[in-house]
Amino acid sequence: MPKVYLGMSGGVDSSVSAVLLKEQGYDVTGIYMKNWSKDLPGMKCPWAEDLADAKRVAVQLDLDFEVWDFEDDYKQKVVDYMLSEFQKGRTPNPDVMCNEQIKFKLFYDRAIQNGADFIATGHYARVGAAQDIESATAPASNHCSVNNIRLMRAIDENKDQTYFLYRMSNAATAKTIFPVGNLTKPEVKALAADKGLDVATKKESMGVCFVGEVGMKDFLHEYLETQPGEIREIETEKVLGYHDGAIFYTIGQRHGLYLGGGLPYYVVKKDLANNIVYVSRNLNHGLLWTNQLKLENLHLRTDLPTSGKIQVRLRHRAPLLEAAVVLRESPQAAVKDEDVRRPRRRAGTASCPEEATKGSSKLGELIFTTPIKRPAPGQSVVFYDGEICLGGGIVAE
Amino acid sequence: MIYLDHAAATPVSPQALKAMLPYFTEDFFNPSAPYLPAKHVREAYESAKDQVAHCIGAKGVDLVITAGATESINLAFTASHHKSLVLAIEHTAVLAAAKSKKYDLISVDKFGLIQLDDLRRKLDDEVDFVSISLANNELGTIQPLAEVSEILRQARQDRLQRGITTPLYLHSDASQALNLMDINVARLGVDLLTLNAAKCSGPKGIGALYLAHGVKISPLTVGGGQERGLRSGTENVPGVIGFATAATEAKAHLSYHRKQYQEMAKVLHQELARIPIVAQHIENVKHDLNLGISQPIFLGNPKHQLASFVPVCLPGIDAERLIYKLEQQGILVSTGAACAANKGTKSHVLAAIGLSDAEIAGSLRISLGSTNNLDQIRQAAKIISDIVLREYFRVQNSLQGIKRASKLDAKNDSPVKTGTGEDALVENFAPEDNLENSYA
Repeated sequence: MPKVYLGMSGGVDSSVSAVLLKEQGYDVTGIYMKNWSKDLPGMKCPWAEDLADAKRVAVQLDLDFEVWDFEDDYKQKVVDYMLSEFQKGRTPNPDVMCNEQIKFKLFYDRAIQNGADFIATGHYARVGAAQDIESATAPASNHCSVNNIRLMRAIDENKDQTYFLYRMSNAATAKTIFPVGNLTKPEVKALAADKGLDVATKKESMGVCFVGEVGMKDFLHEYLETQPGEIREIETEKVLGYHDGAIFYTIGQRHGLYLGGGLPYYVVKKDLANNIVYVSRNLNHGLLWTNQLKLENLHLRTDLPTSGKIQVRLRHRAPLLEAAVVLRESPQAAVKDEDVRRPRRRAGTASCPEEATKGSSKLGELIFTTPIKRPAPGQSVVFYDGEICLGGGIVAE
Repeated sequence: MIYLDHAAATPVSPQALKAMLPYFTEDFFNPSAPYLPAKHVREAYESAKDQVAHCIGAKGVDLVITAGATESINLAFTASHHKSLVLAIEHTAVLAAAKSKKYDLISVDKFGLIQLDDLRRKLDDEVDFVSISLANNELGTIQPLAEVSEILRQARQDRLQRGITTPLYLHSDASQALNLMDINVARLGVDLLTLNAAKCSGPKGIGALYLAHGVKISPLTVGGGQERGLRSGTENVPGVIGFATAATEAKAHLSYHRKQYQEMAKVLHQELARIPIVAQHIENVKHDLNLGISQPIFLGNPKHQLASFVPVCLPGIDAERLIYKLEQQGILVSTGAACAANKGTKSHVLAAIGLSDAEIAGSLRISLGSTNNLDQIRQAAKIISDIVLREYFRVQNSLQGIKRASKLDAKNDSPVKTGTGEDALVENFAPEDNLENSYA
């Protein structure tokens, strides 16, 4: 019986994953990953209830169940990263970081060390082998099986979570099962109800766990020092009002400005040096739109199409957009363009794109045929070739 | 459903509910309003307070009605200005209230009984408040409060003799005890006493704080000056009516209930004690299985324990798993205080009586009550011991699995013969113990 360690969050997706894996004959151990949380009055991550829900399902299915504590790592690699990004005026995506650093690195490593054949999570995504997908063209890199593994979009287009998974390593992907990736959310819920799982009707958790229900702004207030400053209209430089810290605002944001009635204002620019937030009523303002986008910290899962034509997703659940991608050499990176796009075939695992991208901060640029609404710096842009997730990068300034 | 968690909550008694209902609808008036129907509500409220007070040998005017034991405890601690001494196994409400000022913990023995010597040792002149629960909420251990109050009386005398006038109050949280003990504030010698309706078949969200004459507390909520200005806010009339009815009822049936619970507890003790004996039998059949089954440890000392409490430690078992297994069989039981159980933190009570982390993880709190009868308990006891055995097999099987895997890894050896524990269990356990059939 192949041994699987399943990350169980207490939600319906990982619970149904447990049911499916068990039915498929795996030897399943449920793991609750304890992440960092801050207990402040009125600010509570519901982890204790989630843990109880996860354990209840595991026990119901007669699975072994353990709690693995990743609190310190999570604090360091996810929370601190997030805070430092906000401090720089950027809008980070902690879920992407959590998947890369915690779930598909630490959890994966520990599971493999414990003798797991696979890990599994309740994410909506699929894993496929390149041969099956690109049927005819058998890749030359057969010796590197990790190289043939593809992260693929979920069947349920509305729930697809590859946007958050694009940075998980190919090595982990090769050993990962996404049991609900072939199902739609309604099917998952129906299955949960059918199996008598109490979590079938559980309210879906939204947002970042450790922030809880109070929202990101209140959370940041606890950690980052901010100064009140002016909100100015970009066209006139007129002071329209005041904000309580420029870092709390994101480009494109229209809520929470408290500028009174009338037509809404949009945040178009942040001047962090002078602590000024610039707004405009003009939704067509040049700063809100762009034809091209500079990316940094690229994570490429596989070779990009030689044409450079890909589809990209700017936000979770946003529609796929056509774009051309150009890779650029980063100043400190020793790897040449050529190496990144077409890694030289060498012996052993060194030919995995993973290896080629490691250790250097890759830069890239996307060119769009029609202007897109500019995503905030720090957000992720994820690349696709049809069903296949090619990787992605983080929006630079 | 068999409910075995009466220490967490009790269903409102039908009489109490019936008594409350008119005060939600036709007799809804504000007791402070000037017209006659409101005056009648005021009279009903005051008489209900008297009734509650009579249950503990006090008068209605000695009580402050609160929204439950936690509020009563917080209010009680306003009497402390210098340093408090609290028992190490107190409810978290007491510990949290104590921690807001200077405090020290008094240790307990392995039964959860106060170590009076420790109290004497720590009772310095700075101490102005001592809080000792009448009966513990996880172990049911009943504290010798009369002895405690005698120690405090002597300390007061000693202080006065030395010209020290710092007051020294004794507060007791009697939340768990009202329906199982004949409480009399004079006999106990307490200055403040916390009561909770929800633990004795009254409604939730209502409690009381008894104050002896001369005890000075400060209000936590101010406003219209209700409850002698000590707890403002429009009175919870139906709550107090329900509280009074339930408390009076409980008092009337005290010894009858106690006897019933003692019988039920005996059944549980006997059945759970059989676990290793049954296992022994299975073990003889499958002697390559070393199940690591230990004798259950019954916590607390029955001589000083509420009759309804059966706290038990099952070494090697994950009690949380038992809870989820049992709920599937319609048996509701808990590991400890609901507040602590939900937060994934280990019980400070069980740690204080010297249990190891593994023993704490294997501890169940069974608490009996008005919803139980002897037949139910017999049935529940069998199901619990059956599930405990199955858990021992599960743990053993996964251990064997690990051993087997590592042996296979090391060399291509033939796997260790394990035998399936589950089969052995079903074969050797009497048919009526078969889970699927025993409980409908």
